[in-house]
Amino acid sequence: MKKKGGFKGFLFFIILITILIIIGGSNVLILILSFVVSISIVIFILKIIDGIKKLLNINLDANKQKTVGIVEKESVKINPEIYSEPTNLKNTSQNKLEKRQKYLHIALNNNLTEAKNIISEIPDSRRILIEVGTPLIKTYGIKAIEEIKNYAPNNYIIADNKCVDLAPREVEMVALAGANASTCMGIAPIETINSFIEECQKYNIDSIIDMMNVPNPLLVLKKLKAVPNIIMLHRGVDETHFSKEKQIPYYQIKQIKGSYNVFIAVAGGDTIQEIRKAVFNDADVVVVWKSFYKPTKNILKIANLFLDEIK
Amino acid sequence: MLSKKSKYLQIAFNKSLEEVSQMINLLPPSPKIILEAGTPFIKQYGREGIKFLKGIWSEKVGNKAYVVADLKTMDRGAREVKIAASGGANAATCLGLAPIETINEFILNCKNLNIDSMIDMLGVEFPFEILQKLKTLPDVVILHRGVDEYENNKQKQVSYNQIHRIKGTYNNVLISTAGAESAREVLSGFFNDSDIVIVWRSFYENPQNTKEIAEEFLKLIK
Repeated sequence: MKKKGGFKGFLFFIILITILIIIGGSNVLILILSFVVSISIVIFILKIIDGIKKLLNINLDANKQKTVGIVEKESVKINPEIYSEPTNLKNTSQNKLEKRQKYLHIALNNNLTEAKNIISEIPDSRRILIEVGTPLIKTYGIKAIEEIKNYAPNNYIIADNKCVDLAPREVEMVALAGANASTCMGIAPIETINSFIEECQKYNIDSIIDMMNVPNPLLVLKKLKAVPNIIMLHRGVDETHFSKEKQIPYYQIKQIKGSYNVFIAVAGGDTIQEIRKAVFNDADVVVVWKSFYKPTKNILKIANLFLDEIK
Repeated sequence: MLSKKSKYLQIAFNKSLEEVSQMINLLPPSPKIILEAGTPFIKQYGREGIKFLKGIWSEKVGNKAYVVADLKTMDRGAREVKIAASGGANAATCLGLAPIETINEFILNCKNLNIDSMIDMLGVEFPFEILQKLKTLPDVVILHRGVDEYENNKQKQVSYNQIHRIKGTYNNVLISTAGAESAREVLSGFFNDSDIVIVWRSFYENPQNTKEIAEEFLKLIK
């Protein structure tokens, strides 16, 4: 590459000199000046060409390294007998959330058969995010993420692993299974949250910090080394069931957005009114889950209403 | 169910199924040694992982095999306890940092399904404050120093001073301490009056080491 550049430069140089000599005629001063100017022009042009080449090369190399890294890790760390290789391993850049877009986040918690049915019926949209709920992960293990990724290969998949310790291990597990985002509890030790966010960046997945039972999320955010991608304001299922007076702290949405450049997800209940309320309060992602006793139709209706009404 | 008169050594498993079976072979068969299906292990293999651990340990120690499912429940207490119990676990864990409603629901469901409830005080500064708010007491309280906490901040210590305080007030609760990584730390856990000491780290770095810890422990409690 260097030789080619040198040859081109030499040609440029000769051409420029001849043009300047023709213009300059016999005047020696003008000849020297034109000489200096031509050299500087040539150097400038060469630098620009080099810069463009470097940029292109870095991009190509980075892509290569990423895929190689993932494949190597997998072969070293995972026991092939137990761990079946997921078909959709790589996270594409398409599967990142966009600002100024509203998302519906559907949490699947009951069993894989039901999850499959729900996924087959919900409308195909990039604005619908699918969560592999904690009970599913704890029942089926990492297989739950792989299966759901298979059912919905084009959707953004969230692994609700609710990490509280051993973050590097958990992030690696869910990222290799094909998740696009992973969750960590805001109540976890700060060391865990920091290492969680760092690992998520390493595996190119979104980090979600779940603020369940955290009275003031800003206090947690202040202590972190890096800002996560998504903050989830959360009222737990048991809390909702046993203490109906507990409210989702909508006022915190603007508070957090005022200081940090993050997406806000809110567990918005399961009626369209509550979803509207969350979106009105500036939430980017609204989380709904299908309660065990309610029919599947309920969640499909909500998905359709959401896509129609909320743009 | 665990006895209040005995001491137990709890060994946490966090790696792959294959390694688990190799390591279990090294352990002396004793009902005083209890196994834990670690959180990453459960998240990787699910309920099947718990069943596997229970099965393989039962082969060695018979029907006294005791397995803890380290669920670290944060929400949906009832649902998670069912998962653990159906996998054959004898105990499950819930986080002390979870909403009080969840902890209450967790303890209640553990009682209903006849398994021990363990409340993990990871990240809790004053375990007392949480115990006071509960409707019923758990069977075991775990005093915990997180792995990530320790890796990044070596000054954090297991809070042994809490053991006597809790036992003085609630005499029906067993105390388990987690975070010990050497024979010395295991011993100091028992000297400080904990009923269960949890080890995990030395197990992977040197399985032989854990075997020795286990044997020493069995000698000590005789």
